[in-house]
Parts: sequence; C-alpha cells; structure tokens
Amino acid sequence: MMLLKLISWPYVRKHLLRSTLTTAGIVLGVAVFVAMHTANQSVLYAFNRTVDRIAGRTQLQVSAGEAGFPEEVLEKVQALPDVAVAVPVIEATVQTGIPGMGNLLVVGVDMTGDRSLRDYDLETADETIVDDPLLFIAQPDSIIVSRQFCQKTGLGLNDRLTMQTMAGPRQFTIRGVMSGGGLASAFGGSLAVMDIYAAQMVFGRGRRFDRIDLAVREGVRVEEARERIQAALGPGLQVEPPGSRGAQFEAMARVYSMTANITSVFALFIGLFLIYNTFSIAVTQRRSEIGILRALGATRGLIRNLFLAESALAGLFGSLLGILLGVAMARGVAGYIGDYFGEVYGVGEKAEEVSADPRLLGLALLIGVATSVFAGWLPARNAARVDPVKALQKGRVQVITEGENRIRRMVAAAMLAGAVACVFLSRSAFFFYLGYMLSVLAALLLTPTLCAVLTRWLRPALKWFRPVEGALAADSLLQAPRRTSGTVAALALSVALVIGLGGISRASYSTIGTWVKTSLNPDFFITGSETITQRSFRFPQSFAEEVARVEGIDEVQPVRSTRIIYKGTPVMLVAADVEKIARRVRARVIDGDREAMYAKTARGEGVVVSDNFALLRRVKRGDVLEIPAPNGVLRLPVLGIVLDYSDQQGTILISRDLYKKYWGDDTINAMRVYAKPGVDRAALRQRLIEQFGSRTRLFVMTNEELRAYIMKLTDQWFGLTYVQIVVAVLVAILGIVNTLTVSITDRKRELGVLQAVGAMRNQVRHTIWMEAAAIGVLGLAIGFAMGAVHLYYILDVARRDVAGLRLEYLYPYGIAAVLVPVLLGSALFSALGPAESAVRMSLVEALEYE
Amino acid sequence: MNRLAAALLVWAAWAQAQDARAIVEEAQRRARSGSQLYEGTLEVIDAKRKVSTKRWVYERLGSAGNSKAVLRFTAPPEVKGVALLIHNHPDRASDQWMWTPAVQRERRIAFQDRKTRFFGTDFTFEDLEERDVDRSTYRMLGEEPIDGTPCWKIESTPKPEARSQYTKLYLWIRKPDYVAAQIDCFQRDRVIRRIRYSDIEKVQNIWTARRIEVHDLTRDSRTILRLEKLEYDVSLPADLFTLQALRRER
Repeated sequence: MMLLKLISWPYVRKHLLRSTLTTAGIVLGVAVFVAMHTANQSVLYAFNRTVDRIAGRTQLQVSAGEAGFPEEVLEKVQALPDVAVAVPVIEATVQTGIPGMGNLLVVGVDMTGDRSLRDYDLETADETIVDDPLLFIAQPDSIIVSRQFCQKTGLGLNDRLTMQTMAGPRQFTIRGVMSGGGLASAFGGSLAVMDIYAAQMVFGRGRRFDRIDLAVREGVRVEEARERIQAALGPGLQVEPPGSRGAQFEAMARVYSMTANITSVFALFIGLFLIYNTFSIAVTQRRSEIGILRALGATRGLIRNLFLAESALAGLFGSLLGILLGVAMARGVAGYIGDYFGEVYGVGEKAEEVSADPRLLGLALLIGVATSVFAGWLPARNAARVDPVKALQKGRVQVITEGENRIRRMVAAAMLAGAVACVFLSRSAFFFYLGYMLSVLAALLLTPTLCAVLTRWLRPALKWFRPVEGALAADSLLQAPRRTSGTVAALALSVALVIGLGGISRASYSTIGTWVKTSLNPDFFITGSETITQRSFRFPQSFAEEVARVEGIDEVQPVRSTRIIYKGTPVMLVAADVEKIARRVRARVIDGDREAMYAKTARGEGVVVSDNFALLRRVKRGDVLEIPAPNGVLRLPVLGIVLDYSDQQGTILISRDLYKKYWGDDTINAMRVYAKPGVDRAALRQRLIEQFGSRTRLFVMTNEELRAYIMKLTDQWFGLTYVQIVVAVLVAILGIVNTLTVSITDRKRELGVLQAVGAMRNQVRHTIWMEAAAIGVLGLAIGFAMGAVHLYYILDVARRDVAGLRLEYLYPYGIAAVLVPVLLGSALFSALGPAESAVRMSLVEALEYE
Repeated sequence: MNRLAAALLVWAAWAQAQDARAIVEEAQRRARSGSQLYEGTLEVIDAKRKVSTKRWVYERLGSAGNSKAVLRFTAPPEVKGVALLIHNHPDRASDQWMWTPAVQRERRIAFQDRKTRFFGTDFTFEDLEERDVDRSTYRMLGEEPIDGTPCWKIESTPKPEARSQYTKLYLWIRKPDYVAAQIDCFQRDRVIRRIRYSDIEKVQNIWTARRIEVHDLTRDSRTILRLEKLEYDVSLPADLFTLQALRRER
C-alpha cells in the first residue's frame, strides 16, 4: 500500500492522460457488457412485472400460444377437481391515437368472476356503475383504465376514449379508474380492462380465449396440480405458471445478449492490449525506480505484486467507469429494445426504470479487473526480472529476443492448425467456438511477426516519401516490436470487430432483400392491424371471398399466422392455402422437392419449415414435428426447408384446413392480394378501402410499403449493431491516441538526441506523423484480414446459435473503405499533440530522461 | 344405564333433526307451485346509502329444486334485456347462463362464481338457486320470535356435495304459516349475510313474502326485492327456459 502511494501514484499523476486512456478499452468493454445486459434484463423485468401484475393471484395459466383456443376449454378446466377458480382472458394491444401514448394493452376478462383473481382496486369509481358489473357488462363500451393513464391523458371517469376496433375507431366510456399499483401499473399504466365478450366482438376474436388464468384449490400443491391439469387437458394446451411467459420472452431477447457478448469480449481484448502496452512501457520507463527498489532490498515478488496491484487498480478504475457509463447507456438501449420488441413481437415493454442486477455489476467488475490483471501480468513479470545493476545504467534494454519470437510463432502456428482442424469438427458447438477463439489468439500472437514483416515492406515506401523521417519512423516501429504490436493488435481487433459487424449487417440486408423480392410478391397485403406483426385483429374467412370478388383482383390468399409454443420457444405458425402460395412464390428451397413438398403440405400430409427454424431447432427434412394444438397434437413430417425470414424464431407452414381442424379457428389475419395484369393498382387500392373500410378495420399495404416496413424493421434490428460499430471505432481511435502518447513519452530521449544532432523540428514532427500513419496502416491491414476470419465465424454464430440466418459471406468493402480515412485520419490527428510536445520539450530534460 | 342415556340422547337428537327437517320440508311443500311469475323491483343501498334501482321479470317453471327460471331485467334502460337462465337440479348445483343483448352473447356462470355477488346486488348467484331439502342436514335450535311472530330456529348445514359457500344457515320459520322469516348465512362462525322476509301475504293460497331484504354485513349494503304482480301456476311454455329462448330478446 505504501509503495502504491509512494511509487505508483506519483507516476500515474504525472501521466494522468495516458493512464486514463489506458483504461479506455476496459471502460468501453465493461460499458457495452453492462449496458446491453442491463437493458435486456430491464426489459425482461418490465415484461415479467407486467405479467405478474396482470396475473394477480393467478397460479397457473392455460394457453395454446398466441392462437388461443375455443371457449369450451374453459368449462373443462373449471370442472377439474384441482381448480378453485378459472377465468378466461384475452389481450390485445390497440392504438388510442392519443399523441405520445403509444399502444394501450386491453385485457378482456369475465367481470362476473374475475375479481377472485385480480384486484381492480377501483378508487374514484362511481359505485353504482363500476361496482355494478351488470351495468358494466350490459354496456360493451365500458372500460376501466389506470389512474396513471388518466394522469397522462387528462381523461377521467365517464370520459370517452377512442380505440381501434374491428369496426374501425370506436368510442369507449371510462366507467372505472384503477388506483396505482398491482394491475393498474402493468404495462406502464397503459392498460385498460373490459368485458371479455365485448373484447371478443371488438377484436374479431370469435368464440375464443387467449388463455385461462386459474388458482388451485386450497391445500393442493401448485406443481402437482399443474401436472394433473396438464394431463387432463392433453399436450395441445400448455399449463404453466405465469412466470414462464418471461422465459419465452427471454428466448426472443437472447439474440441481443449474444451480439453484445461478442462486442464486449472484443472491446475487453482491445483493453487488454492497451493495458499490456502501457504497462510494458511503464516498466521500461521506471526501470531505474525498480533498480533502486531492488537495490534497497525489495524482492522480485514485491515488484511483481506492485505492478499487478497497479494493473488491478487500473482495471478497477476502468470497470467502475465502465459500469457507470453502461448503466447510463442502458436506458437508451432498453428503450430501443422495447420498441423493437413491440414492433416485431407485439409484446413491447417499456422499461420504466433501469435497474442493474448487482450480480451482473459484480461480474462486470470482475471481468474488467481480471482482464487488466491478466494484461499486466507479463509486464509485472518483466519488472520483477529487472537486474538492479543494469537498471541503474542508462540505455535501452527492451528487445524481444529471437527465441521469444520463435516460441510465439510456433504457438501461433499450432493454434492456427488447431483452428483449421476445428473447422472440420465445427458441427460440435465446442469445437466451433474453440476454433473461433484459437483463430483470434493465433492472429494476435502472430501480430508482432506480421508487424515486423509489414513494416519492412512499408519502409521503402515511407523512405521514398520522406527519406530521413520515413526511415526513422519505420525503424522506430521495428525497434519497439512489443509497443508496436500491442497497439497494432488493439487497432486490428477494433477493425476486425467493425468488419464482422458490418459484414453481418450487409449480408443480412442482402439476404432479407432477396427474400422480400422472391417471397413477398403480392400487390397488396390486407391486414386488420397497422402492421403485419400485430395480430390483435382478425377477419372472418368469408371476408377473403368478398375481397376476391372485387373487380380487378386476380387472387386472394388468406393467411392465418400465429405464434405457437414449440418446445418452449415461440415460433410462427403460418396457415395458408399452400397450393396457391406455391404457385406464386419462388422461395429458395434449401432441402426438398418444391412441387412434391408443397402439394403434400397442401393435403395436410406434412409441413414446410423455414431454414432458421430448422437450424435453431436442429430439425432435418423427414423429421416428425410434434406441434401442440388445442384439439390434439399434430405429428407431421418436415417435407421441405425453405428460406423464409418471416420470424426470427422460425416459421412452420401448414395447410389452413389442418389449422382450422386442430385449432378450431377459421379466422384470418392477413390476405395476400394479387391484382389482374394491367389493373391500375392505386385505383384498386382505393376501391378496396372504399368498399370495406367503412364497415371493418382494414389496412391495405402495397408491396412497396411492406418491403419498406420490413427493411425498416431490419434497420431497427441493426440499430444497436451500428452503435457497437461506433464503439469499436471509438476504441480503435482511443487505442491510437493512447499508444502514440505513450510512445512519444517512451522515446523522449531518442527524440531529444535526434534534435541534439541537428534534426529540425519539422523532421521530428514528420517522423511522428509517419509513425502514426504506419501504425494505422498496419492495424488496418491486419484488422482487415482478421475481420475476414471473424466475419466467417460470426456469420456461423448467427446461423447456428442466434437467429438461424443462413447469410451469404459478403465482405463489407464499403465499411472497410470508410475505415481507411477514418482510422488513418484519427492516427494522424492523434499524433499532432504528441508530435508538438516532442518538438517543444527541453533538450536537456529529454537527454536526461530515462 | 349410561348406555341407555346415550341411546336416548342419540334418539332425541335424531328425533329433533327429524322435526327440524320435517318443518323445512313442510315449508317447502306449502310454497310449492307449478310455476311462478312476478315483476321484481330491486333497490340496492350501498354502504354510503346511495340507492340504485333495477327492475326484472321473473318466470319459473317447476318447483322444489327441480325447476327452471328466467330472470330478465327491464329497467334501467342500460340493462334492459339482460337475462339470467337458471336450471335447478335436485342433486347438484344449478346451471346458470347470462344473456347480454348488447354483445349478443350468453355466458355460463361458472360454479366457482356462485359465491360472487349477483351483479351489484347483495344476493349471490347461489342465493338465487332453489335449495332442495335433501342437500342439507338440520338441527332444531329452539324457538325465537321474529317481528313478534313465533318462529322455529333451525340450523341448516349444507352437505359437502352441495359445495356451498356457506358453512351453515340459521333459519327462522314462522310457526303459523311455515314461511321463512329470516335466514342468517354463515361463513365459518361469522354471519355474512342476513335475509329478512316480510309483507307476507297469501297469494293464490300460498303464503308468500312480498319483500325480501338482504343485508350484506361485511359490506354493510342492503338489497330490497319487492315482488309485484305475483302469480302462481301460470301457463309458461317449457321452451321459454332454454338458451335459444334466452337469445330471443324480448
């Protein structure tokens, strides 16, 4: 402690800027880790809290995915001996049109018995109305809203609120206001309760419920009751505690965690090199100090521990800063993720407050400190080995021995061989990720050698440009391989990260773009909701027949898409007229015979699944899927696998007849409409709206609008990726600034000697600038190569473990081209300060410096 | 000797139970009619003494726990047309459906909801059922006048299969005419609801209470039901008491 105070602290104080920059990698790595995970956890927490608040005293829920089930199931559940109370529920998110209010979650409940499970806590209610369910039920425009909602909108008891319904916008009367807390605070207070049978009518749900909430009899164990109820209802219906909905949501949010982890690991790696570099140089600079300490009796262990303690403190400082930054960033990220989930899954949840899990923060702190200590370990060992006699002599001692270099190269070659071997064994996740790690490590270990080779290649060019300064810059890089390679490795890692993220983004846009063009080819999409991802409103199937009769329409393909739970994960079930779709859609077939698979699927003899479903669920053609449905379990073989990105968790295409039979649901939620050739599409669209818009809620999207919407979703999805790219570039720039600052300080004496022997100030400036530019070139060159490998792996991660996306390998040349001026410019810009400080330093001081 | 005393005690208790049951049975027999029709005025007085009024028409076919009834609201305008169909069974709880004309839907009142209040009144759905004498056991507690009329005070305990919300009921049955004068409904050892019968008149030879007051002691609210235009043994078609008929709004 005393040594830290007397030896380390003055050094840090003297090089405050450098010390701060050193921790930048740790700060950003920890910040990204904390921000993404805290945001994910906060959104998940908010979702779970909404589920809990809506669930009230519910112990178990009976559901069949998003599709719901026929009303008859309720009587069956209520008759079970373990069930004390069972009440039906439907949920829908609707727009109110009130500016800034977003969506309102409408919960439809049976007001006759629901209070057994939920406390409405009606506070300002007109007792004769709200406390009288008869008046509430008899008037289907009755709703109860939360006090929070009233405060936000300025509405109150008996005020009218417009909501979107199947029959277009309709006015509802607020007949009750729930006080805060409990149910009223679910979904951030943007919640309304209405009678379930009115909700069925309003949202076109037919005689179906979304789920049944139940409480078990007193004295019965919930888990035992769950098993018995599940057995009684059969596998077609899921009986789970309310909390299990959170687990399904978590599965959807997992993708974000995965990409965040990769970025965090890269940022920490970069931080590791920055710390390593700075500490290596610090050891060199403080060699005389170490020599004095050793001469005064300090043991090697003491010296090593001193440097390790310094690196631990640097890690602690960086991690704490990173945690603060991460928590601050988390709010924005949480809002972003919430919006995205609302858009895509219709279960959007605004995290009202971002609360970081202490365990997560502890882990982040541990990772940050451990990374720093690991980075400081080698310099600390070198410091401990300093010979006190040599240390007290002036002169440079830092060279990498050829022996050390050879060992490094051999280890790198072995790792490279291992990585190649792992490619052949990459079916196993362990070998895949081992290969990924080995390839990155091999590249990093090869960096010093590559730096040396590339600098030698660069030397003639630099010399040609500026004979003296160029040669001096190249030699300086060659003479300090550790310093150079550390910086270049950090820079290369940043570049590789950017290339990886940029590549996956480019490939996704390209692949999704192709899919949109080949599969989403109808002229119009008619839906009951503003977007195709929301399925709160449904049409009767007869509506499709009416639309088909409109003049100018060639074909209408009714579609019922719904999210079901397949082996614990929500996946998309698309029930359609498969033959018609097969005739019009030319989706890329990954496996299977196009004609046969669609013909058999149309006959209900099997299913066609999307590629991402097959990859994520490890399903092959010929495998038999067991799909739970309210009227039994469907056992159908996979007849084919096609490229389809309708849903991130995968899609199962089945015939509508089969769906109607097993789900007892003949509603549709979208229509694919093809116009006759030569028909004026704008006029046809207008005709559709005029003919049906007045009697039912209807959205007619053109093909272009749908494509734009999907690309907007893709933009939203990659929004956070771009943030990560910015972080990576920022880390790269910080790395360059740090290294050059350190490098100039390190070479104070050398630069002083140069000036003493007659070098002009401009020559010194140019030398430093060229050195900076050379570091930039080296980092870019190695980074581009590493990026190519990283992209290969990250595409495979996306395919196998994250989204099941079979993405084309497309190197992001555009992003690479942007990186060149950005990083070279940053390198030159960051060299300005150190160069000026080098030319302005006192010669005497410089020559004395050691 | 002891054995004899014990046997006598058991016999006395049995005889007393028989007496109590016989009284309830006789009360039920005297109230029996082939059908019933009345217009009811319902006044709900909440804890804040705020009064709301509703009206309904009640039609019943059959009697003594084996009957069908329809209760259709006629006022206020907001609830007009809302109806409740009840199928009473002697051996099990009744089936009940509610019809809401505004959404054109009937809903089944689940067995679990029988203990919930009947749409803002102080009756529960269970209170609207006809109770068959065999679904409870009885014990004579003694005699106690109500409003000056001598009454038998009988304890009625629903059998487990009745799955009643009440643990027991105290019945006061008027000695002169076997009409119930008061019922105290218990949950555990606490009276939660008290039903008072008054304005007792003879209608078509059946002694009938024209005013029924339910006092919810936990909420301190009261519901008063007045029976008007009461008729017994009127001709009512059986198909009036079906879901199809319920859907035909009148």
